[in-house]
Amino acid sequence: MHALQIILTGSIVAISCGLLGCYLILRRMAMVGDAISHAVLPGIVIAFLLTGARDSATMVIGAGILGVLTTFLIEFFHKKGRLQTDASIGVTFTWLFAIGVILISAFAGKVDLDQDCVLYGEIAYVPLDLWITESGLIMGPRVLYTTGAVLVVILIFILFGYKELFLTTFDPAYASAIGISTALWHYLLMGAVSITTVASFEAVGAILVVALLIAPPATAYLLTENFKFMLVTTVALGILVSFSGYYIAVWLDGSIAGAMASVAGILFGMAFLFAPGSGIIIKVIRR
Amino acid sequence: MTNDKTIINQVHHVENPVLEVHDLTVSYDKKPVLWDVDLTLPYGKLIGIVGPNGAGKSTLIKSVMGLTPNSSGYVKLFDQSLREARGKISYVPQRESVDWDFPASVLDVVLMGRYGKLGLFRRPRKADKDIAMDSLRKVGMEAYEKRQISQLSGGQQQRVFLARALAQQADLYFMDEPFAGVDAATEKAIISLLREMSAKGKTVIVVHHDLQSVTQYFDWVILLNMRLVASGPVEKVFTTELLQETYGGKLTLLSDVGDLIRQQQFPNREKTPDSKSG
Repeated sequence: MHALQIILTGSIVAISCGLLGCYLILRRMAMVGDAISHAVLPGIVIAFLLTGARDSATMVIGAGILGVLTTFLIEFFHKKGRLQTDASIGVTFTWLFAIGVILISAFAGKVDLDQDCVLYGEIAYVPLDLWITESGLIMGPRVLYTTGAVLVVILIFILFGYKELFLTTFDPAYASAIGISTALWHYLLMGAVSITTVASFEAVGAILVVALLIAPPATAYLLTENFKFMLVTTVALGILVSFSGYYIAVWLDGSIAGAMASVAGILFGMAFLFAPGSGIIIKVIRR
Repeated sequence: MTNDKTIINQVHHVENPVLEVHDLTVSYDKKPVLWDVDLTLPYGKLIGIVGPNGAGKSTLIKSVMGLTPNSSGYVKLFDQSLREARGKISYVPQRESVDWDFPASVLDVVLMGRYGKLGLFRRPRKADKDIAMDSLRKVGMEAYEKRQISQLSGGQQQRVFLARALAQQADLYFMDEPFAGVDAATEKAIISLLREMSAKGKTVIVVHHDLQSVTQYFDWVILLNMRLVASGPVEKVFTTELLQETYGGKLTLLSDVGDLIRQQQFPNREKTPDSKSG
């Protein structure tokens, strides 16, 4: 039962992150995903300090605001300060993340957040943190509900905004020319990345969110030539990563989140070597 | 028509224009790129925008479509604001402006031409697919419907972009260097398609860099070098004097311009694939 809950949570996180990651890598914004996943930290802490509530909704709102602020700052430094995009990303998110770390350590007594947990997460605790209703009914792991709710939001977002997201990713100038707002869809996407990141935090931690955001979509990109297939392949890879990551961790008696991210990396390496169209091995053989 | 002693220019205005640009100034980082452009264009013509690199040719069409912010001036299309006219205008960006390794098929890209008409949340239907296929047929690419776009040649990519614009069924088309880096067969196919469109009353405005084909291709020409040098029927404004004014010292073969115009019946259409406009 616990194994199933952990694998399910891992899959849900990997699917949400992976689907959004497909858009990020095609927009050449993979590192913006990295930046957001770290920069939401002060948002979570500030939201907690202001409201005193540690419920998911408060944290998601705090993180969402900081996430969008992060992308805004990155663009602001890039456009107004003429700073290179990567430098702008580096300055923005390390600074915001550092503020989050200071806030946590300064208010350590009041904030029920652990720096290690924020950075590395601990998916093994998922089955222990239960959602118990006021009448005492045990509903199951709390994280499963938050990540599940976020997945539903992400699926609705991609399903209904499919063509707008597709077009603004492929050809933003043409999108603007026919009256589709690139800025609107950009900030909606960034908001979606922010809430996904914060919901995934507790499960896999900030650093490993990045792995799930980038590695499965990058693998799917090598394996497919069609965007819809890329999304579907990413979902399949996410489930595979979660499933095999869990059992490898059990076998090694190691970190589950670490094993999942390692599997994601190994799958990418295999696609890089053996992909039918673009794989290195195929190219060597053809030569 | 105005005539100044120091600045040579010749701007023909029309009644009931398809596009009216009024005192348009555009600048990037406070450096002006377009200075006080004021013109009107007639319906149903094939119109070329010509000028040296960095003359602001692409900027002119981009700012007319609201893709770059204008410092001053206003634009009217079909005697309407840009917002009202949006559904009637189409755009073919420079081919290099997108990533052709993007995981999309030819049909995926052409269907994008239908997105504006579909509105939010609606997916392309069979009617939209029929229109997209019809557009592909017009550019001779119907056999490539399922092909991934990374497998296309430069000329084929350009045809796909053109098919996407056609699928929009617009009335006014802006095209940014559609002939840049395409093979001779594609260039011929494109120009005959543009002629067909203008014969049906569509207005096509093309950023163009090849002076030698201007008189062959266009009905009306805009000569631009930051400021508007000339706008009018090709036979009236495509003159040595106005071209010299447009290109200044930048045209190395300045003395040959006159010859070019005379030699138009034997055009030399060799292209440099990497030529870009400003």
